[in-house]
Amino acid sequence: MIFRCLLIMIYDFVMSLLGVLLILYVISFTLYLVRVFKGPTIPDRVLAIDSLGYDLAAFMVILSVYLKSPLIAICALSLSLWIFVLDIYVAKYLEAREMGD
Amino acid sequence: MWLNTLRLEKWVIKLIDLILIVLGLILVIIGVFCDFVGAIGLIRLPNFFTRLHAATVGAIGGAVIPMLGAALIALGYEPLGETRFILAGVAFTTSLITMVLAQAGSHALARAAYRARAAPLQPIIYDALSEKNEKGEKQSI
Repeated sequence: MIFRCLLIMIYDFVMSLLGVLLILYVISFTLYLVRVFKGPTIPDRVLAIDSLGYDLAAFMVILSVYLKSPLIAICALSLSLWIFVLDIYVAKYLEAREMGD
Repeated sequence: MWLNTLRLEKWVIKLIDLILIVLGLILVIIGVFCDFVGAIGLIRLPNFFTRLHAATVGAIGGAVIPMLGAALIALGYEPLGETRFILAGVAFTTSLITMVLAQAGSHALARAAYRARAAPLQPIIYDALSEKNEKGEKQSI
């Protein structure tokens, strides 16, 4: 019985700590957005959006653990794939000055 | 009760769940630290080719490691019910995909930016690649 109460307390502590970590994630997103808006050249902006997208996928996975719902985590899978596609398209545009067929 | 097939005692199962949660929480805290390091490096470093390092710290340390931690937390967190397997599987798959694709994407971007001269090289000490290209060899990055 005491062990069960201790376990429930630990679960509450873990969930509140995850809430604090999610707020820290949002603060670091604003730091990434500074480079997105300030970056002097196109590769700088794309690099910042790249890191921002991967961290957003991690944020969505942790948020789905926090909210106890698996629907958000499935979107994170396709988000990380689309970020890679953005990288490849911008690299191809910078080299050949065309978007490709 | 996903360990029931091993026919363990009840408190052993609770203890394994607890160890999984603590390990996952440590991984998520490491991930938040690496995320801040990557963001500050992305603002402070002077050049595109030095910012690549900070971006990779933000992608691998800030996304792959917390996803592994979220998978461990979802496996050990009992009030999730049956959705813990969905969450753990999706988190593990996304972390593996990110671990492969982040490096490939940033490498392709750096190669294109160097060959198209889209980013300035200015705070530079030594450029071995341009010497190699001047010698008339095939351009090989």
